[in-house]
Order: sequence, then structure tokens, then C-alpha cells
Amino acid sequence: MSHETWQEQLRRGSLDLAILLTVSSGPRYGLAIIQHLEAFTDLVVTEGTIYPILGRLTREGLLDARWVEGEAPHPRKYYRLTPLGAKRLEHMTREWRAFAEKIARLIDAARRDDHAAH
Amino acid sequence: MQLTDTGESRVNGYLFVLERSLKTFLPGDVVRDAVREIESHLRERIAAASAAPNEREVLEKILAELGPPLRVAQAYSAERTIDEAVATGRFVPMIRAIWHLAISTVVGFFAALGLLVGYLIGVAWVAVAVIKPIFPENAGIQFVHGIPVGPAAQFPVAPGTDLRGGYWVIPLALTVGLGVLVVTQRCARKYLAWWRERRLS
Repeated sequence: MSHETWQEQLRRGSLDLAILLTVSSGPRYGLAIIQHLEAFTDLVVTEGTIYPILGRLTREGLLDARWVEGEAPHPRKYYRLTPLGAKRLEHMTREWRAFAEKIARLIDAARRDDHAAH
Repeated sequence: MQLTDTGESRVNGYLFVLERSLKTFLPGDVVRDAVREIESHLRERIAAASAAPNEREVLEKILAELGPPLRVAQAYSAERTIDEAVATGRFVPMIRAIWHLAISTVVGFFAALGLLVGYLIGVAWVAVAVIKPIFPENAGIQFVHGIPVGPAAQFPVAPGTDLRGGYWVIPLALTVGLGVLVVTQRCARKYLAWWRERRLS
């Protein structure tokens, strides 16, 4: 596997969690979600590909989508976390932290072994 | 930034290509909703942008960040068609998803080819069962050098063709045909579920 493929898989695997985290504080519309992701991460490579993921998360019942008109010159589609989405987010966050800690421990151990060898 | 007629045409052209591409894979109401959302994104970005140094450059940057319409459409169809096919198991969404994968990946192309062969064999057997009571002499099991090679229906029967089987062919062809169709359909669903898992993993 090339480094780019690995990076792409990592990015894809974490996008769902990142989107759920973005809307966990309150409803946001598509562009606001993208801007939030861009401000904190480099997960958004192509902005247009975020919308199909939002659609899938909505179909899976993790997000609730609603068009709002009159707030801006153009209608905005707002997404908010559903109770099912909140539960899934809790699980995903826990698993992500546990996973990251294990990998961090592995990296530390590898570095210690490397220092000991030299 | 207020768009000129040229800028407006560029935006409408982008949305037109996106809509056309999405229509290939998705139902009309989903396409309308998706195009509306992308248009909302574009209008918002354009409204917030400054026209300096020039409108064309700014607009092209916004469109490039959004992604080419075909790529956006492909992302929509990848997310939507496979999910729908796996969730419902319905024939049309499944064919749509298989077609989408066939035209976008090499593995998908060969898988679609294999599934097409399965569906065709199933349909051929069922067709023989349907034709047999109407044209008993033209449908049956074809033998080559005494070995059965499969169901056949010929109009008229070609000279030298060894077409055998009485009416007992009907239940046999129906059973085999429906059996092959069910197995192919299950394989198709498993294949799409595998794709979905692969995408999510």
C-alpha cells in the first residue's frame, strides 16, 4: 500500500466521526460543516464529496436534515445529530481514543527499543 | 460578489452537468435535493467572495474547491446506490449499483460480467419453460454429440440440431432457471455488501 493510499484510508475512516463531532454542538448547514472541518483538520480534500456523506449519515438515521428558507438569500440545509447519532458518536469517540492510545503506546515502545539498541 | 451573466452561465453549466450525471444513477427527487444543496453551497461561497482580481478566477477557484461535477456526482452515486441496493435488495437499485461499479472500477467490471452471465443463464432456462408449452418442437435441451449443453429455443430448428425433451422440460427449466436467478441475486447482494464494507472500512 502506498503512503497516499494509507493517508486516504485514514482520512475516509475518520470523516464520519469528524462530521458527527462537528454537528454535536448544534445544527449546522453543509458549508458551515465544511468550514468547521477545514478550520480544524485537513480532512476535506474536495468540498463536494462531503455532501454525499452527509446524505448517507442522514439515511442511516444518525443525522436529521431540514431545509431552512429566509435565513439567507439561498435556502440552507441544516443537519443535526439524532439520539441514535449521539449514541453512535459516543461509541466512536470512545473507540477512537482507545485506538489512538494503543497506537501511541506502540510508537513510544518502538522509540524506546530504538534508543536502547543505539 | 455579484455574478455577471458570464459567471451565472458558468455556475448554471456546472449545475447542469452535475444534474445530468446524477440522473444516470439516482432517482429524480434525490437529484433535485442534491443539486439544490450544491447550488446553495455555491451561492453562499460566491456571495462571500470578493470579485478581485477578477470574477472568472475567483469563480474557477470556488468550483475547483467544490470539485469537478463528475467527481461530485460519482461520490453521490457511490454513497447512495450501493446503500440502497444492500438495504432493499430490490432488483433495479441492485442493477444500478452493479452498473455504477462496473463503469468505475476494473473489479466491478468483471464482477458485473460474471453476474450478467448468471442472470442470462437463469433467464434462458425460464424462457425455455415459458416457450415449451407454446412451441413444443422448438424448445428443449440441446445435445451436442450426445452431451446436453443447455436450454435452447430455435425458430425454425436448424438442421442437425439435436433438441430433446418432452413437457417434463418445463418444471426442470423453471427450477433450474429460478434457482440460478436466486443464487445470482444473492451473490450480487453479497458482492455489493462487500463493497459497502470495504468503503466504510
